[in-house]
Amino acid sequence: MNIVVCLKQVPDTETQIKIGPDNKSIVTDDIKWVINPYDEFGVEEALQLKEKFGGEVTVVGMGPKRVTESIRTALAMGADKGILITDDALEGSDSLATAKALAAVLKDLEYDLIFTGQRGVDDDMGVVGPALAELLGIPNLSLIVKVEAAEDGKSVKVNRPVEGETLVIESSLPALITAQKGLNEPRYASLPGIMKAKKKPLEEKTLGDLGLDAAQFGEGARKLKILEMTPPPERAAGKIVEGETPQEKAAELAKLLHEEAKVF
Amino acid sequence: MANLILDERDQKFLLYEMFDVETLLEQPKFEAFSREMLDMILEEARKFAVNEIFPTLKSGDTEGCRLENGQVHVPKAFHRCYKLYCEGGWGAMSFLPESGGQGLPHIAAVAVRDWFVHNFAFFAYPGLTEGAARLVESYGTPEQKKRYLGKMITGEWGGTMCLTEPNAGTDVGNSTTRAVRQPDGTYRIQGTKIFISSGDHDLAENIVHPLLARIEGDVLGTKGLSIFLVPKYLVNEDGSLGRRNDYEVAKIEEKMGIHGSATCLLNFGDNGDCYAELLGEERQGMKIMFQMMNEARIGVGMQGVTSASIAYLHALQYAKERIQGSSIMDFKNPEAPRVPIIQHPDVRRMLLWMKSNVESMRALLYYTTLCGDRAESETDEAQKEKWRGMVEVLTPICKAYNSDIGFRVTETAIQVYGGYGYCSEYPVEQFLRDEKIASIYEGANGIQALDLVGRKLAQKNGAYFMSLIGEMNDTIARYREAPHLKDLADNVQKAVAVLGETGFFFAQCAGQKDFLTPVNNAYPFLMMMGKVIAGWFLLWEAGVATEKLNALSQEKGVDSTDPAAWQTFIKGSKEAAFYSGKVFSARYFIQNILPEAEAASKGIKSKDMSVVEIPEEGFAS
Repeated sequence: MNIVVCLKQVPDTETQIKIGPDNKSIVTDDIKWVINPYDEFGVEEALQLKEKFGGEVTVVGMGPKRVTESIRTALAMGADKGILITDDALEGSDSLATAKALAAVLKDLEYDLIFTGQRGVDDDMGVVGPALAELLGIPNLSLIVKVEAAEDGKSVKVNRPVEGETLVIESSLPALITAQKGLNEPRYASLPGIMKAKKKPLEEKTLGDLGLDAAQFGEGARKLKILEMTPPPERAAGKIVEGETPQEKAAELAKLLHEEAKVF
Repeated sequence: MANLILDERDQKFLLYEMFDVETLLEQPKFEAFSREMLDMILEEARKFAVNEIFPTLKSGDTEGCRLENGQVHVPKAFHRCYKLYCEGGWGAMSFLPESGGQGLPHIAAVAVRDWFVHNFAFFAYPGLTEGAARLVESYGTPEQKKRYLGKMITGEWGGTMCLTEPNAGTDVGNSTTRAVRQPDGTYRIQGTKIFISSGDHDLAENIVHPLLARIEGDVLGTKGLSIFLVPKYLVNEDGSLGRRNDYEVAKIEEKMGIHGSATCLLNFGDNGDCYAELLGEERQGMKIMFQMMNEARIGVGMQGVTSASIAYLHALQYAKERIQGSSIMDFKNPEAPRVPIIQHPDVRRMLLWMKSNVESMRALLYYTTLCGDRAESETDEAQKEKWRGMVEVLTPICKAYNSDIGFRVTETAIQVYGGYGYCSEYPVEQFLRDEKIASIYEGANGIQALDLVGRKLAQKNGAYFMSLIGEMNDTIARYREAPHLKDLADNVQKAVAVLGETGFFFAQCAGQKDFLTPVNNAYPFLMMMGKVIAGWFLLWEAGVATEKLNALSQEKGVDSTDPAAWQTFIKGSKEAAFYSGKVFSARYFIQNILPEAEAASKGIKSKDMSVVEIPEEGFAS
């Protein structure tokens, strides 16, 4: 079973994000970059399927050269080869453009399954996976927490949580799955894995290599414009309800809920 | 989860900006490595430590170990950690590739362990296994390697170090454990070993104990000791496990700290059938065990660094969050707003004292292992010898200075937390309890001081000590003319001169058959030497940081003569703040702590004999 995992590099969730002077982007100077956690679930699931069915896992990333580090990490976890789409003209591309670039790489690959994260933890768009499935004309199975591949490797049965229930979907392959939290627990890369990762193939491709027109990518081609970025409003200080006895406190709380919060 | 284990930026600074590990990696021995790969290894070590090892610190302490029906059970949470540690291949880091290891440079392996060792109760299990396995790698016969090494490297089997007996700890030559030769060339052991860390546990299916014993008829003292391999389960020809060997876990100690680490009393050969194999040659036990002990001494020095590091980072975070008291600038105003305690000068003093000590101890640890790498990878014999000598001189300081100062850093962290720090609801009191053992085991710090003064200073006619002084002087010369660093370089130079003189003073004492002065003052000397070394490293760090800071400010077009612009620059860039913090560490330590070296030297040179002259009756009525 050949599997492709699309991987995005995002700021570590512990990074303190600062908005840049243009008010439309973030300052990237002191940021630590990691694999998008939802994509990491995809990597792990792909490796588990490979362990069961054989085949190859290819990791495809897009962005500046630093994305190489994240692809290498996936290779150290056990993926077989990596492809990085890197081109100055990609800077500022929106989700749809990203899906187009990925689709251009994927059309030349043999695959039974594609994994993407259900969304990137940076922009929180959740578009790339479904858009990519659409462009490739294959089924899109989104927000998946369980994957069972048929013994013959020709179809999958997947679970999606829906309002406290579970929706079970069966699909033919090839198909695209967007990974949701709960799918698995990604492994740590092992020391021998890291040593081996250095020797695994990692190819770089420009838009030109993929036969794509640079004008359709980057800031200028965005269908979606960022007007402004603002930090979330600061939370006001909490209030401690005063009172000598529980009865007094309860009365005071009821009064505040009525008069200040106006909930009843 | 936030990382309060170590400052990653400090680690990278030491490896790449100060100790230039990239140049080391160009040596043929390390051609498989690159900076990119090392960064990846450290990142995985960080993830593993932050997500898995650190969270078991508290439960390991509260749960502790249990001895039931002769079998030790470790804290539950350690099982997952140990499994992941083995799966990650971390135990194989520094073994030779031909043994199934990865052959990492020592300094890289130390940087990795810097993430793990803060939870020493956990780390003792794989850590001792690694030390024991390396003895097998260095001294085992091909059959012994085949039988034991592979499984010890993967962590499937554990290892220990069985030296101490009830009357043979510091005085190891007093060992009474006997080995009786058998017709088939194996031995049978009889005796009792105490304080055996990881002596038994349920993490691995077998445990291999390197054990010191005296073959019947051999001379008393250390010269008559041989070293043996004693497996928990005998190993059959096909590699499967055979009978349980004849030894018993009689008890595990109740200790002040590292509760998750099983400290065992082992009775060998109660039924006269404790199987053992000789490791290396007969009566070479001490020489062989010293390989493991020297490594373990550096490991204990690392325990000092890592305890200090987590204690400092916890105290720092607490000081930023804990609000109490108003600013000293506003002290007359009862209505003044309450501020985080990091704004109070005495709290800042404690934090900066901790910071400068953590950074200089970490530098000492990394540098000592770098010297080891140079000794092994240099091709020039004189260079090899020089770096080997540096390891010799620095090892007792790395062990004793780091473990003692590390303990004081954990104590200072409790002080920063105040009353809460004394309560077990908060984490810092555990750091202190866990760290205390470091000054005691692997050769008590008093013994380290005697090793330094009695052996290392005079080795090769003092050549090793002089190469260290030479390295210090090179750094001083580099920064003596640098603006902003000149005063620091001058003060470090004075301290190095005092160190050299004091070393020479000891040599003179020995020349005059006055051995008591060096012996009485061995410990003060070691601590003084540690401070001078710390001052040296901090000057070096400040030198590198100043160059980087200047380059960064030029790149950003900051006017360094405009204090307001400079402040904005430092506060606005994590990198600039880091480098600036380095310079302050150096300035604080060199101006406030380093002068203590001179005071210590004055005391030493007074030749005061109080410690030997006071009658025992005079100690208390």
